[in-house]
Amino acid sequence: MADTTKRKWVGKSIRRLEDPKLLTGEARYIDDVHESGMLHAAVLRSPYAHARIRRIDTSRAKALPGVVAVVTGKEAAGLAGPVPAFCAEPVVQHAIAIEKVRFAGEAAAAVAAVDRYVAEDAIDLIEVEWEPLAVVSDVERALRPGGPLVHENLGTNLVFGRTLTFGDVKGDFARADRVVRRRLRWPRAAAVPLETAGAVAKYERTSQRMTVWANTNMYHYSAMPFAGTLKVDPNRFSIVPVAVGGSFGSKHLLSKVITIAGILSKASGRPVKFMEDRIDNLAASDSHASDRIYDAELAVTTDGRFLSLRIDVVDDYGAYFQFGQTSHGNYLSQVTGPYTIGSVEITLKAVLTNKCQQMVYRGAGSEVNNWVLEALVDTAARQLGMSPVDVRRKNLIRPEQFPYKIPTGNYYDSGNYAGVLDLALQMVDLDRWRKEQARLRAAGRYIGIGLATCQQRSVYSSTEFWFWYQKPSFPVTATPEGVTVRIGQSGLFTVSLSSPFWGNSPETVVAQVLAEEFGIDPSTVSVLYEDSLRALPAAGPGGSRLTVMLAGAVTGASRKLKEKVFRIAAHLLEASPQDLVLADGKVSVTGVPQRGLTLADIAVNAHFFKMSLPAELETGLDASHTYDHPFTTPPSADRSDLGAFYPIVAHAAHVPVVEIDVDTGLVKFLDYVAVHDCGTMMNPAALDGQIAGGIAQGIGTALYEEFVYDSEGQLRTASLLDYLLPTAAEVPSIRIGHQETPSPYTPYGLKGSGEGGRMVAPAAVANAVQDALAPLGIEVSELPITPDRIVRWVRQAQARR
Amino acid sequence: MKPPAFRYVDPRSVADAVGQLQEHGGGAKILAGGQSLLPLMNLRLVRPPVVIDINRISALAYIRETAGVLALGALSRLHAVAGSDAVTRRAPLLAEAAAHVGHLAIRHRGTIGGNLAHADPASEIPAALLALEGEVVARGPRGERTIAAADLFRGPLSSALDPTELLTEVRVPITPSGCGSVFLEVSRRAGDFALAGVAVLLQRDGGQCARVRIGVCGVGNTPLRMREAERILERSGVTEDALRAAARAVEQAVAPSDDTQASADYRRHVAGVLTVRAVAQAWQRAGREGR
Amino acid sequence: MAKRAREATVREIELKVNGIAYHETVEPRRLLVDFLRDDLGLTGTHIGCEYGVCGACTVLVDGQSVRACLMLAVQADGAEVTTVEGLARDGKLHPLQEAFWEHHALQCGFCTPGMLLTAYELLQNNRNPEPDAIRDAIAGNLCRCTGYQNIVTAVQATAQASGRA
Repeated sequence: MADTTKRKWVGKSIRRLEDPKLLTGEARYIDDVHESGMLHAAVLRSPYAHARIRRIDTSRAKALPGVVAVVTGKEAAGLAGPVPAFCAEPVVQHAIAIEKVRFAGEAAAAVAAVDRYVAEDAIDLIEVEWEPLAVVSDVERALRPGGPLVHENLGTNLVFGRTLTFGDVKGDFARADRVVRRRLRWPRAAAVPLETAGAVAKYERTSQRMTVWANTNMYHYSAMPFAGTLKVDPNRFSIVPVAVGGSFGSKHLLSKVITIAGILSKASGRPVKFMEDRIDNLAASDSHASDRIYDAELAVTTDGRFLSLRIDVVDDYGAYFQFGQTSHGNYLSQVTGPYTIGSVEITLKAVLTNKCQQMVYRGAGSEVNNWVLEALVDTAARQLGMSPVDVRRKNLIRPEQFPYKIPTGNYYDSGNYAGVLDLALQMVDLDRWRKEQARLRAAGRYIGIGLATCQQRSVYSSTEFWFWYQKPSFPVTATPEGVTVRIGQSGLFTVSLSSPFWGNSPETVVAQVLAEEFGIDPSTVSVLYEDSLRALPAAGPGGSRLTVMLAGAVTGASRKLKEKVFRIAAHLLEASPQDLVLADGKVSVTGVPQRGLTLADIAVNAHFFKMSLPAELETGLDASHTYDHPFTTPPSADRSDLGAFYPIVAHAAHVPVVEIDVDTGLVKFLDYVAVHDCGTMMNPAALDGQIAGGIAQGIGTALYEEFVYDSEGQLRTASLLDYLLPTAAEVPSIRIGHQETPSPYTPYGLKGSGEGGRMVAPAAVANAVQDALAPLGIEVSELPITPDRIVRWVRQAQARR
Repeated sequence: MKPPAFRYVDPRSVADAVGQLQEHGGGAKILAGGQSLLPLMNLRLVRPPVVIDINRISALAYIRETAGVLALGALSRLHAVAGSDAVTRRAPLLAEAAAHVGHLAIRHRGTIGGNLAHADPASEIPAALLALEGEVVARGPRGERTIAAADLFRGPLSSALDPTELLTEVRVPITPSGCGSVFLEVSRRAGDFALAGVAVLLQRDGGQCARVRIGVCGVGNTPLRMREAERILERSGVTEDALRAAARAVEQAVAPSDDTQASADYRRHVAGVLTVRAVAQAWQRAGREGR
Repeated sequence: MAKRAREATVREIELKVNGIAYHETVEPRRLLVDFLRDDLGLTGTHIGCEYGVCGACTVLVDGQSVRACLMLAVQADGAEVTTVEGLARDGKLHPLQEAFWEHHALQCGFCTPGMLLTAYELLQNNRNPEPDAIRDAIAGNLCRCTGYQNIVTAVQATAQASGRA
C-alpha cells in the first residue's frame, strides 16, 4: 500500500459521481421504471391484527373496467410459495395471507389494474368476511400460558430463547463491589426512508423468465430464494437494481413487494408495478426494528472498574421471524463496548406478536446495546461518585492492547479510544459547558451535557445471521463483494458493481480507488450496476461494509489489470515489467518518462491489435475480483466463542449539550460534538454526511420516533403525522471531529462508517437529558424522550419532594 | 393512496357554488385550498361523490377594512393573511396565528375559509378567531347569515355550517390601540399541529388589564374561550398570582384527550403554562403599543 | 343522474411546465404529482407520503411552492409549473444544484428535487437568509439522509455567491 502521505485520491473530499443525475431528476428510482403494458398493483390490507379469512369475494373487483387480475392468498399459492425466510424455525409467511392474517395491514388480496387509482377502486370492491381472533398485543400477553398463538404450528409465541455465556460471569459478579442495575425500554422504530419500497415484475410466460426491478439490496443472497418462491428457474430469474431513495437496512430483502408484484405478473401475463404507499411502508413493511425490554446489570468495583455485564432482553418480533435474531447476533460483536469488561452473559427471548415483523435498521441492534451499556456506565458513575468522563477513562481499552479480543470472541482490530475522547472533550470545551451549566442551574434552568463512547463495528460476516442457532438451517459463511473493472478501447475506465446505490457513494468510492491505483482523474470513471444474473457475488451495502469491500474488490481487480497492462507495455516498449512504473495514467520506463505509453495507447492495442500483444495474452483489458471478508473465523461448536465476525471496529464519542424547558418538556440542542475514528477516511465529506445523517436518525429515535400499537394490535402511528421524522428545525448542526487509526486488515486501513452516527446518538442524547434532569433525580429508562414523558417525570419528581 | 372518483364542478360565482351545494345536498364537499380535504380523500377517509372547487371564484379573494372591521374573503390564502399589511396592522393576532399553520407550501394553498370550515380543534385560526371575537358570513339557498366564532365550532371537524352553505367571508373587529396580542403553541416539531395553543388579545390601560380574550386549541373537541381565566385577569391585572390562578382556571376549563403525541394531562398542563407565557407577552406588547 | 355523472369524467387542461405548453386530458381526481410524473414523464418530482407532510413532491405553481400531491391536475389549468427539471438550463446546472453538489447536500437524492425548489423559492424572497431562516424554510421538506446541515450550507453558499456576482 502506498504511504499515506503520498496518497492522492484516497482521503480526498471529491464531489460525488452520483450527484448530477440525482440533482436534475434524471436518476431512475423504482417508481420511474415503466415497462410496456405495465399494470399497477394495490393490496387489500387486513383491518384486524389477528383474524381468519372466512370468505373472500373478488367478483365485483374483477368486473371493474381496467382491472386485469385479482388474486387472493389461496389463488396466489398456486403461483408462489412462502416468502424466503432466514430463520431456522418453521415460521411460514405468504406475501398474501391464505387462511389467517397475523398483523393489522397484512395483505389478504392483491389487484393489478391499468393504474393505481383503478386498482384502489377495485380493492374497495373486494368483500371479506373476517373472523376476528384474540390479539397477541404485547410480549406479556404473548408469553402468558394458554393464550392465543400467532403461529399455531409453533405451539408457543416464544419463537427463540437462549442464553449465551462468555467468560466467568458468575465469578465476576461475585467479586464485584456493586452491581448497577437498569431496566430499559427501547421503542419500536423503523428506517422510514423517504422513498417507499417497490418492485416491477415482468414474467414472460413463453420463455418462463422473470425480470424484477426493485429497490432491494442483497440480491446475491436473495435472488435464488425469490426464484424459488416465485417458482421460476433461478437462472431465468433476474433482479435489476435501480437507484434507491434511502434504505438504512429496511430494503435488504423486500420479500412482500417483490413476491406480490411477481404473483400479479404471473396472474395477468403483463409487467406489474407494486409501490408501497406510505401506509404500507409504515404498517406492513418487511422492516420494523428492535422492540426491546432490557434488564441489564454491570458489575463494578468501588474504584470504578467494570468487571462483567449481564443482559436479559425480550424482543417483540411481530408476526414473523424472517431475518431470525440477526439483530441480536449483531451486537455480540461489540457488546462490552470500548471497555475492558471481562465477561458477559446474554439471555434472549424472541417473542412473536400480532404486529409488523422486524428486520434491521441502521445499527442493526448494536445501537440498542450501546444505549443500554452507556446508561449503565452513567448510572455507575453517579452511584460511585465519579464523573462520566473519569469512569470511562478508567475502563477504555488502550492502544497497545489491539487487536483486542472481547469475551464473545470477536476482535477489535485497532483503536485509540482515549484519543477520541480527548478530542471530543476539547472540541466541545467541556469545562466551559460545565461552568455554564452550573451558572444556568443556579438560575433555575436545566442544561445537560451528555457523553457516549461507543463502538461502531463494520464489515459484517454472514455468520452473524445464524450463530445463535445450535443447528442453523443454512450456515452461510460467504460475505463477498465482486466488481469488474474494464479499461475500454479509448483507455477510459468502466466499473461494474454487483450491488445497488442507496444513498451511499459506491461510484465515488470506486472512482477514488481507481484514481489512486492508476493515476487517473476519478471523474472520468463510468460506473454500471449489474443485474443479479450478470453480477458477481456480492452482499451489498449494509453493516457499514461497502466502502471497505469495494476498496478490496477494486484493488484486487486493479492488481490483475495492472499485471496485464504492464505485460503489454513491457512488450510494446521492449522493456522488462520490473523496469516500468505507472503514474498519472501512463506507464513508462523508470527514469525515462519519454519512453512511455498512456493507458489509451495500451488499451487500443489490447482491444484491436492482438498481433502486437504477447502471444499468450487474450484480446481485451478487464479484470474481475470478488473480495471476501478479510478476517472472519467460524464460531465454536458450543458457541462459547463466536469467532471473528465483525473485527473492523470504528469508535466514536458524542457530546451533545441540551437545554430542557421542564414546563413544556421541549428539548433544545445548544451544541453537538461528534468525534469519529473510522480508520483511514476515503472521502471525509461523504463520511461526515453519513455521520450527520445517522445522528439525525439517532435524535429521531431518542426524542421523536415510536410505533404505538394498542391492545387490539392497531397501529396508532401509521402516518408521517404521527410517526415523527425530525426536520431541519429539530436537528442541530453537528461539529464533527476526526481521528484516523487505520485497520491492519483492510485496504488502505479503511473502516466502515455508515451506521456510526445512529449507533451513538441515542445513547448520547439520552445521557444529556438525564444529565439535565439530574437535579431532580430523574433517570431516562425509556425512549423516545417525549415532552409528555419529561413533564410527567418532572412532576413526579417534584411531587416526591 | 389515490382518491376515489368524484364528479368535479368548478363554479365561477358564489351563487353557482351555492346552487351546486343545494343540488347535491349533503353529498358535495367544497374544495378550497385542499390542504385538509385532499389528504382525507387520498387516504379514502372521505369519499365525496361531488367536489365543488371554489378556487375560480375570484370574488372571494380579498382583504378589506370597513368601519372598524377587517373582512377577509374565504379564499384568502393563509400566506397572504400572514403577510398582509392590513392584517398585521389591524388584527395582528390573526396574522400571527396564520403564520403558524403548517409550512409555506401549505399556506400558499390553504385558505382562511377552508381552515375555519374544517374546524380542526387543533388548528390555530379558530382559536384566534375566538379570541378576536370574530364571525363568519355564510351564504346558503335561503340567503346570507352571520355566525359568531363562539357559535361556529360544534365538535371535532364539525362546524355550524349547513351542508348547503358556503362560508364566504371572515370578519374580525379591528384591534384597538393599546392592545397586545400573541399566539403561542407547543408542537412536537416545527409546523405540526398544536398539542396546545393559546391566542391572547389583551387591552392594557396603564397598569390595568382592561380587557383580555383567550382562545385555546388542541385541548378539546373544539377551540375554547377561557372565560374564567379572562375574568381573573381583568379583575386582578397581570400579576404573578393572577397568572397562576388564570393557569389553574385554564387547566380546569379545557377538555383534552390522549393521543399518540401527548396525553390529556400533558395538554392540560401545557395549556396553563402557555396561558401564563402568552398573557405576559401580550402584556409586554400592549405596553410597547400604548406608548 | 348517472348520465350526468358520466359527462364529467374527464377534463381538458392547458398549462405550462418548465416553459413548455401542454394540452392534456385528465380525470378530475388525478393528482398533479401523478400528472407530472406519468402523463408528462417528468419523474424528477417524487412521492413520499401523499398527504402533504414530507415535501418530496414540492413544485412551484405560478412561482409559489405547493405540494403536488395536494393539488388536482385540473387545478393547474392555466398555471405555470416549475419542476426540478426546469432548474438546469441547456445541461448547465443551476447555481443551487452546483452548490448542493459542491457541499454534499444530498445522499440518496430522493428529497432533493423538492428541497431544491423550496430553496429556490427562499432565495427569490430572501437574498441572504440566515441559517435559522433556511432551516425554517426547509422544515417542511423531510430528509432522512443528510441531517440537513450541508443543505443549509449549500443554500447559504448560493446566496453569498449570487451576492458577489
